[in-house]
Amino acid sequence: MSGRGSSNSIIIVGGGASGVVLAAHLLKSANPDLRVTLIEKRPHFGQGIAYSTLLSAHVLNVSAAGMSAYADDPGNFWRWLQAGGLLGQDQTPLTPFYAPRSVYARYLKELLDDLETRERETGRLRLIREESLSISPTASGVEVTLANGTSVVAHLAVLATGHDEQPAQGHAVRMGSEADTALDPDSRVMVLGTGLSMVDAFLALEQRGHKGEIIAVSRRGLLPSPHRKGNPIKLDVADIPLGTQLSYFVGWFRDLIRENQKAGVDWRDVVDGLRPFNQKIWQNWPASAKRRFVEHTKAWWDIHRHRMAPEVHAEVSEAVRSGRIRLVAGRVVGIDAGERVSVDIQARHSQAIETVEVARIYDCSGIVRDISTSSNSVVRSLVDRGLARPDPLRIGLDVSANCEIIAADGAVSRKILAVGPLTRGTFFEIDAIPDIRVQCARLTRQLLG
Amino acid sequence: MLTKKGKYGLKALVHLAGMPAGQLAFVNDIATANTIPKKFLDAILGELRNAGFVQSRKGKDGGYRLARPADEIRVGHVVRVLDGPLAPIPCASRTQYQRCEDCNEATCQVRHLMLEVRQAIAEVLDQRSLAEMRDIGLDELPVATKIQA
Repeated sequence: MSGRGSSNSIIIVGGGASGVVLAAHLLKSANPDLRVTLIEKRPHFGQGIAYSTLLSAHVLNVSAAGMSAYADDPGNFWRWLQAGGLLGQDQTPLTPFYAPRSVYARYLKELLDDLETRERETGRLRLIREESLSISPTASGVEVTLANGTSVVAHLAVLATGHDEQPAQGHAVRMGSEADTALDPDSRVMVLGTGLSMVDAFLALEQRGHKGEIIAVSRRGLLPSPHRKGNPIKLDVADIPLGTQLSYFVGWFRDLIRENQKAGVDWRDVVDGLRPFNQKIWQNWPASAKRRFVEHTKAWWDIHRHRMAPEVHAEVSEAVRSGRIRLVAGRVVGIDAGERVSVDIQARHSQAIETVEVARIYDCSGIVRDISTSSNSVVRSLVDRGLARPDPLRIGLDVSANCEIIAADGAVSRKILAVGPLTRGTFFEIDAIPDIRVQCARLTRQLLG
Repeated sequence: MLTKKGKYGLKALVHLAGMPAGQLAFVNDIATANTIPKKFLDAILGELRNAGFVQSRKGKDGGYRLARPADEIRVGHVVRVLDGPLAPIPCASRTQYQRCEDCNEATCQVRHLMLEVRQAIAEVLDQRSLAEMRDIGLDELPVATKIQA
């Protein structure tokens, strides 16, 4: 890139999945002067929030063929599974396979171990297990201050801090956190959210031998759909209405699904056929369409787009049928917390208020409420000092199409960049490996040529 | 292929892009200035409103204006709304595909090349904004007239 100074030394803040995937792409370069420093506060690299679960029931929501860490080598994860004897005899790359997330964490760990071994003599990779506190631009690059009082310098820094760990709302607790103490197995619990995180919570409760009723509440009470083996339809950018108001686009998309269904095509193949264009569609929408999408359409989109393994869906559906899980479309309007927690829920359609007593509320709503209140000190301090600003919807940081963060005054940083979920205001669907690896490959070309 | 509908729609939008920001234009004025049949223009503007490119106000002082700044509206986006998927011939479209009666699509070299052409059309039209199209007019039209003369 013209105008950018030397970019041979790069600090990646965050050593979860997106940080490791970026490091792996950078280190494919033959440049002997390259220096990559990966900083992670957790004891293990490559896990983040998403892949730190040890529960075998917590499987990936994307089939193995889509989970390679490398954009240009989609079979990488598949071959690793095969080499490790982790696939059944009859598994082919074409049969969907949803690996446990702990297995995926191991894949990323081994990938990083291999890189570390390979780069030991070159000195191109350095791993630091410490929390990063802040990033500051300096005359020659950037300085990252660490919680142990030291700091690291480089030409530029890339934020790969992943999903924001916002504190649980009100009286709710996060599944697996310290506040998530032992429960009476027959007690009733409430889950805020009915999406994939709720499903994870249900599976974890099952594992613990919990038997009580689970009341799952969200605005619409919608459960994500199951995957099915299919063939995404082929679309070209010339077919897709861009830059229109949201209602126009949604009308077009519904018609497209209807026409395809008439021809015997599963709706999933239409939703998946749109995937290569999702970022482009998002980026071309006027601000009003983006806002409306997040407010009104995203819940509907998510359950069709972000699906779960068929086996998991069958288990959850059975739990709904048997009354183990009760899905409620509504919102929590009051909480009275004592020994037990009494919750008032207002139903979405009838507006009727129902009061239920539960032993615990789990927060699985999974939505970034406001990035400027992020629990991540690096992100917060960048926003506080005006070096970064939230995107217009405040779901991430405002970044350029080249992943450079944008300051409060609109200046585009040449030294601080971001990848992964933090960039969703600009890239929309950038939570999953298939999208993150493409972003990392592009950023690598941009930085190292 | 750009239909009359697409062409008229673009002319109307360029007309609106030339108005002072926020000011409404009468449908009659747009029709007269660009020699577009008034009824056809009504229908076209209605579709552009549904897609969110223009806003309208009813009544005696009513009219149309752009819903967004002219540099934020891409020409290709408008053409897709008025004429459907960008395609030089009907067999070179995925969503509005129409098989040609008289040839075999698998072996038709014309179709193959036209699929490439549609990508090129999208690239050109999606790069250009209404503001750019409006400004082309001012600088280059006199030159074109001179050459003709």
